[in-house]
Parts: sequence; structure tokens; C-alpha cells
Amino acid sequence: MSSHREAPEISQDPVADSTDLYAFVSPDRHDSVTLIANYIPLQAPAGGPNFYEFGDDVLYEIHIDNSGDGRADITYQFRFRTEVRDPDTFLYNVGPIGSLSSKNWNRRQFYSVKRVEHGEPKMLAEGLRCPPCNIGPLSTPDYHKLAEEAVHHLPGNMRCFAGQRADGFYVDLGSIFDLGNLRPFEQLHNQFGMHIFSKPAPGVNATNRMNVHSIALQVPISEVARHHAHAESQPRSVIGVWTTASRQRVRIWDADHGKNVHSGPFRQVSRLGNPLVNEVLIPLGKKDRWNTLPPSDDKLFARYFTSPGLAALLPGLYPGVFPHLAHLVKSGKPRVDIEAILLTGIPAGIIPGFQNHTGPVLADMLRLNTAIKPASKPNELGVVGGDLAGFPNGRRVFDDVVTIEVRAIAGLTYPLIDKKFSPDGAASLVTDGLTRASVRAPYLSHFPYLGVPYSGFSNPS
Amino acid sequence: MRPAQGGRALRRPGKDSTVLPEIHARTPEGDTPERTPRSDLSRRSVLRTAAGAGVAGLAASAIIGAAGPVFAATAGAARRAGSRPRSDHATAAASGQHAPGDLVVHVRDAGSGEMDVFTGTSQIRLRDKDLAARLIRAIG
Repeated sequence: MSSHREAPEISQDPVADSTDLYAFVSPDRHDSVTLIANYIPLQAPAGGPNFYEFGDDVLYEIHIDNSGDGRADITYQFRFRTEVRDPDTFLYNVGPIGSLSSKNWNRRQFYSVKRVEHGEPKMLAEGLRCPPCNIGPLSTPDYHKLAEEAVHHLPGNMRCFAGQRADGFYVDLGSIFDLGNLRPFEQLHNQFGMHIFSKPAPGVNATNRMNVHSIALQVPISEVARHHAHAESQPRSVIGVWTTASRQRVRIWDADHGKNVHSGPFRQVSRLGNPLVNEVLIPLGKKDRWNTLPPSDDKLFARYFTSPGLAALLPGLYPGVFPHLAHLVKSGKPRVDIEAILLTGIPAGIIPGFQNHTGPVLADMLRLNTAIKPASKPNELGVVGGDLAGFPNGRRVFDDVVTIEVRAIAGLTYPLIDKKFSPDGAASLVTDGLTRASVRAPYLSHFPYLGVPYSGFSNPS
Repeated sequence: MRPAQGGRALRRPGKDSTVLPEIHARTPEGDTPERTPRSDLSRRSVLRTAAGAGVAGLAASAIIGAAGPVFAATAGAARRAGSRPRSDHATAAASGQHAPGDLVVHVRDAGSGEMDVFTGTSQIRLRDKDLAARLIRAIG
């Protein structure tokens, strides 16, 4: 998964577990960027009576580096507060929820948004309302309306939303983590000699009909870029984005009151920049550590980018399919292409009309060139599909990051730094067999762009 | 680490002019790993002395009785440390929802007396072998 349950410690703490991060120039508002950080993975829609909600005890943040040092120049902080109207009922709601102020809604959540720029905090809004979870036709009969009501307009021409959405990320987890199987090519897998698969099969979307909780922010580009640049070639047009969740250092179970109490300063427990980095590149023994560090420390992990373990595995898992990749791995040459894509951005002069380079500091951030306008006909394969407005130029909600990254690791992008290298034919074909059409809840064409969450009444069906 | 201002004013209870040697204001800023050693909290080493909460029960009362002045001064130092202008994390912490009266002590190393004291959204580290020994004795 992009970052769902990607590390041992955070897999035990879902409300602080970031799943996906998106950053893109808003397709319906070109002077703004949309930043979305998703948390609480793999929500079964029918998960009542205590439906999913953000952690009141978690500090959620979206960070922006606009100076290239892998440290936050601007941070948006989100803190949540839950209120219960009637503690004497077991119900989340006691009648239909027709609006966010409905008295039928028993357990509501509110939040504040604070902007911190170079250490200086500024409260942007408090008491903002989250929508309820999508329960079903009796409880949430017009979910569109509830969600629209939860889109808040903030001073400075900003929009904000925090609440449940359909998970827009698609991935065939069931096959990938079954020893690197990719169903469309499973007949080519070595199958460890078991001869189970004899023909290709379509991919299966493991996040299908599951929800997440999204924190979405739409901000004028001029508020986040160092100086709003209108030419894509200008370094100052690039921002680096990541999200973190932090907890106070001490948590103690107060048995007398039946709740946890917290103390001490906040410490980071979860981090996400580019998709699949901690999931696939960072080894098991270092994943928890990685989650506690800022991007500026990612030089500590550089070798896992320049020598990705998956690149070494592919030729063995698919005998004869990746001979050029096998030769490249055997040569020991560092995968500077992967390093550039994920840790520094791609410098100017390599891909015509494109750069998202932030300098020499190795830092895992989503790098978005804010001067590149949204594509009129987006290609979900992003830059490798010829669409410069897609991943790894930021990330849109529908980008097929699994296919893009698997192909990159398979050698498709190595010619960016070595024109003599000829990728294997399979490198431009390999996929887990899913596309944006694999997501049943349609993406929205407007903020917050992720689809209406699946309702508990209809899912599973 | 450098001694915090608050540390210079602290005295051991019952002893004249003895400055607690090592009390460090921990800066909860940033995510710098070197400043944030991870620690495992255990029932034995963590004692919550929240007034009225009764989590630590008799043990907490005994400790407060034995080391009340130190705890009061420490909490004050922690609050002062927490009020300094600092990073975004601390800024968020400043708006935290925790009652300032709660206090948590984590004895990291009973032998050296190194312990962390948490209150609100702040933390300080101090080193006091006698206090650590009394805490350990108090919880049996």
C-alpha cells in the first residue's frame, strides 16, 4: 500500500497512520494547490457503532519546504476535538443526520487549523465541523450535502475539509505481498516451483470499498511557494510536501476514568512524502525509525533508494523477464534515477519542459512544480506517461503510483541518467493490473476530489 | 545539554545550598532524533502523580510527601520551559488540552538517577540519584 500499515509500530496505531499524501495544482483553480493527507487505513464502512474518527490526541501536520533543505518552512497543523451530546445512548446518531448541526448526531468532531511559518504560529480557524461517517440511507440520507457543508472557506482564499472519504488509492495488495506476484504476469513468476499459475489474471483492488479519513487543504500558490513563479524552469516554483502525525510522549491508562491520559511534548510517529517509500524501500528493521525522522535526515537511508531491494528481487521472481535489470543490479551502479525521482527531484534539462528539483539535500518529499498547469487530459501514469502534471510532479488522487514506481524500479527511468541503458521490454508493461477505473467511488472534479465515502449500509454487499 | 535556568534555583529538600546538578530543559522542538531518544515506559518506571486522579494511589502520595518541593520546583521549571517560544510542535503543545497539574516521572536509569519529568506538553530531564532511589523505594 502507499503507506497503509507500512511499519510495525504505526500499524498498531491506525488513527495516527498516514496512508496517502497528494499535492497538485487544483484542476479547477489554477492559482491554488490542493494538499490532501489521508489517515486511518482500510476502514470497513460498516464499522459502527463507534465509527471512525480522527484522534483527539494526535497532532496532524502537513509540511511544506520551499527552500530545499528538507525542513518545514510552512506547516499546517490540525487538532481535533470530539463532543458527545448524549452519553446515555449507545447510538452514534438517534435519527437522520440532515445537516452538520443536526441534534440527531450524537458524536461530533471539530477541529482547528493553525499555520506555522518559520516557527511563528497563526490560528487560521477553530471549531470547524467534520462530517459524520457515511452510515446509510436512514442515518445519512444526503451524504453529498453533509460533505459539502463540511467544506470550509478560510480567510486568505483557502478551503479546508477534514473527514471521511473513499480511498482513492488502488493496489493489488493480495498479490504483491504474496511474494511479489503481479497477477497480469503471474504465469511468468517463478512460483517457487509450485506451478500454480498458468495464465494472466486481472488485478484485484485491495482497497476497494474502503474508506479513509482525509485532511484536505486548498491554498493559493502564493501562500506556499517561496515566490510565486510562473515559469516551470524556476527552482522557486517547486515545493516539497510531507505529512506527519505526532503523539505526546507519555500515554497512561487511567483505569479510574476508563481513558488514556497524555503528557509531554509531541513526537513524530508517522511520516509520508512520496508513496511506497517506507512501504517498499525502507527495510523492516528501520521503518519505525524512519517514521520518527524529518525528510532532512533521509541521507541516512540513501542506499535503500540507490539500491532498492525490489530491483534485485524482480529478475529472480520473474526469470528471464528482466535481463537488463539483472545486469544493472549486478553492476552495482547506484540507481541515481530513483534517488532523483524521490529524494532530490528531477533537475532541469533531463525531461523537456520539466523540473522539480529542490537541490542537493536528500529528502523524501512530494515535489510539486506549481508553475506546471493541470493537464486537460490527464494520464494516470504521470510523467512517465507524458503528463508532466502528474506523479512524480506532486501526486494527483488518481495517479497510478504503484505502476509508475514498479516500472521505475524495473529500470524504465534509468535512461534518464544513462542514455546507453536499454530497459527491458517488460519494464514499460509491468503493472499490478489496476487503473483509476478500479476505484468504484468516482473521483470528484472539485475539492476535496476524493470520492464520496462508501456507506456502511451498502458495503460490503 | 546545558542546564536550564530553572535548574539553578532548585534545592534538594532538607539540604542547604545544594544545587541539583543536572536539570535540563528538553526542547520538544523539531523531530531531531538525537534529541529525542526513544524510551520504553513501564509500569515500574513511570509514575503518574496527577492530583485527584489517584492513578498511583498511595505510592504517589508517599512520593509527593517525600519530594514535594522538588516536584513543585520541577513542574515550575517544566512550565517555564514549555512557555518559551520554540518550534511548531511546541506551539501546538501550547494549545494542548492537558491540565497543568498532571505530572509524570519516567526514571530512565535508577543507577544514575536520570529521569524525565513530563507535565502538560513539556518535558525536562534531570539527574538525581537520591530522588530516583526514593521513588523506587516508594513503589516497592
